Amino acid sequence: MDSRLKDLAEKLDAGLIARREFLRRAAVVTGGTAVGLQTLSKMAGAQSQTKVRVWLFKSFVTAGNDVLEKQIQNWAKDRKVTAEIDWATFGDREQKFVAAIEAGNPPDIAEMQILGPMRYKAALRDVSKVAGDIAAARGGMLPFADRSMKLDGKYYGVPRYSMTTVFYIRKDIMGAKGLKPPTVYDPGVVEFAKKTQDVSKGLYGFGQTLNRSDDGNGFMQNILWNYGGGSWDKDGKPALATTFHDQNLKALQFAVDTITKHKIQPPGVMGWTDVSNNEAFMAGNLVTTNNGASLYYAMVAKKHELASKTLLVLTPGGPAGSFVGSSCYNWGIFQKSKYADLGEDMIRYLEDEERFAEYMKVSVGQAGPVYKKRTEDPYWKSDPNFTAIMQNIIRSVPTGYPGPVTPAAVEVYAQNTLTDMAGRVATAGLSPEAALKEAHARVEEIYKARRS
Amino acid sequence: MSITTAELGAKTALGPKREGPLVGLARMLGPDHRLGYLFILPTVVLVLALVAYPFCYAIYLSLTRKYVGVPPVFVGFDNYVKLTFDGFFQRAVINSFIFTFGSVAVKLVLGMVMALVLTSGIRFRSFWTGVLLIPWVAPTVVSALNFLWIFDYSLGVLNYMLVKVFHLLPQGVGWLSEPGTAMASVIGVNIWRGFPFFGISFLAGLRSIPVEMYEAAAVDGAGPLLRFRHVTLPGIRNILIIVMLLSTIWTFNDFQIVYILTKGGPGGATQVLPVFTYEIAFGAQRLGEAIAVALYMLPALAAVIIVLARYMRQGRSR
Repeated sequence: MDSRLKDLAEKLDAGLIARREFLRRAAVVTGGTAVGLQTLSKMAGAQSQTKVRVWLFKSFVTAGNDVLEKQIQNWAKDRKVTAEIDWATFGDREQKFVAAIEAGNPPDIAEMQILGPMRYKAALRDVSKVAGDIAAARGGMLPFADRSMKLDGKYYGVPRYSMTTVFYIRKDIMGAKGLKPPTVYDPGVVEFAKKTQDVSKGLYGFGQTLNRSDDGNGFMQNILWNYGGGSWDKDGKPALATTFHDQNLKALQFAVDTITKHKIQPPGVMGWTDVSNNEAFMAGNLVTTNNGASLYYAMVAKKHELASKTLLVLTPGGPAGSFVGSSCYNWGIFQKSKYADLGEDMIRYLEDEERFAEYMKVSVGQAGPVYKKRTEDPYWKSDPNFTAIMQNIIRSVPTGYPGPVTPAAVEVYAQNTLTDMAGRVATAGLSPEAALKEAHARVEEIYKARRS
Repeated sequence: MSITTAELGAKTALGPKREGPLVGLARMLGPDHRLGYLFILPTVVLVLALVAYPFCYAIYLSLTRKYVGVPPVFVGFDNYVKLTFDGFFQRAVINSFIFTFGSVAVKLVLGMVMALVLTSGIRFRSFWTGVLLIPWVAPTVVSALNFLWIFDYSLGVLNYMLVKVFHLLPQGVGWLSEPGTAMASVIGVNIWRGFPFFGISFLAGLRSIPVEMYEAAAVDGAGPLLRFRHVTLPGIRNILIIVMLLSTIWTFNDFQIVYILTKGGPGGATQVLPVFTYEIAFGAQRLGEAIAVALYMLPALAAVIIVLARYMRQGRSR
């Protein structure tokens, strides 16, 4: 308590002043203090620097995070501004964006995932000029990145790097059995897994959850494409149980069969989260799994004994080919920002080839290229395992394929529609046909809601 | 000046001048009554700003089609009608009831046992009280993450104990990978976390029951079960109702345990309303519909609260 107020209170208790006098004097003291504080606050504000609020994605590749933060602080120092950096990772980034946008207080600039431009288009600034300049100087964007960033003819994100999924194989086990990497799931991965697994020792041939997770959603999306199906047709209309009914049914059946029929997956796989296969692979319980480069980074960074025994190959395919969706991390500038020019300047600074190379090299394969010229960087030939990462990125297709990237396609992915479909068959005893129709109804409902 | 009897009678018939309610209130509050309004103003403003306004705005948003970053469009009761016929929402409602009543029922029994044991002549009573409070004190996120590891099929400690240490099962159980075991697991963690609240509340209630009542019942020939039924239960009746009411509301709105352990999976088997709301709000980013999900069960919960509150008041007046 303020000493003057305390003094007044004591006087009141002692009966030295009347209650009215106490209230009058107390009002003068508190009011005077409030006015003083406000004046001081204004004086402090007048002296402060321009503050640019930057939100970054906190990757599991911590060395990359450190380099990016350092580069942004160097830029801020160079431009004599303050960069206020905030981080968000897989589980909390979208919530932060939603809350900030709805509160009317988004950051000036943010590092977003591939779905960011579509999701937050209404709050984002058109960055076509800076995106075009950067892409032109680097031979253009890779097709999947271009399709994901460009909406209605305008760019709402400036691509930075791609994070993709590759197929991990224990090459020591593969070598011991005299096998070669499988190129298709059925029968390739199934036979490979059956020959290499040893259930009595807790070693399973394949580890791929169909549970609600990024890993599960990505796999289900890819496997539908591999069988020639998908959730959407080329016009962006629902196709799960209509146009691509037969293909999707076969794909769904295969996905579930890996657990229930072929028994090449660990029994608890339907309860896995995104980190479960990483842990199981590093614990030596899996021969193969699908994962991003972060697993390889973790093994290399920790000098894990399996790092040298791991082979990264292209994601296996199906009857229609091998398809994979990759993420495209990108920079977005929010409409509310008063420092859009500074934001563009920061993007140009960070995407400078030398600075990006520094970031890319510490990321051990996770910061894949999104521009054509960056695919030619000698770094991608420095480790044989990087070949698969590069090839998967180059052939990536965006969410909504073979149709356009639409809000409905983004929502179907985000609502775990495909993993729920698989889960209903694998764990709830629904027939694949019934699960497909149930999921299609969901896709139709989302499509209609988004169209309206 | 003299006054006639007739005039006096007329004045008496009219009686004293009638006061309005505000005048009466002013007299009751004293000469500084205007200051009273000033004192309650902050509270009124806070309640309006932090409770009434957000609540009313949420009701309004639930009647709109609202996407992130885009102004809301009024659609009346469309969101509520759509939800009523939505199979995924219906499943979430059923899951919520299973989760809530499964948890609360067991927490009630365990909490009662905990309270009875702690009021008995057990040694190191304070120590055991502290130990039993740990689940309630520990942050939910930390507990849930620990259970995520405990329930893991291949690396979790539970399967390790059951299979390798005690040889109770030939192989591990997929605790979070099958619909039945996943629901049982999330309920189990909620019980583990919530039963100390029941126990400690009942403990407080039990200590307020006079020992003479037990002695009188014993003299009348009542055994332990009869004493429990006719002395203990009536003695903590109000606490029991309040605790059950609070726990039902908390459990119904529990998000963290389910989201961290299963995210509503596998295949939506543990999808409860808070997780469904979260998914619609942040996954689908349909804020109007998400708020409608959150508010949909409000009348039912409010009805339960009103009925229970009335029941308690009746109990007090008896």
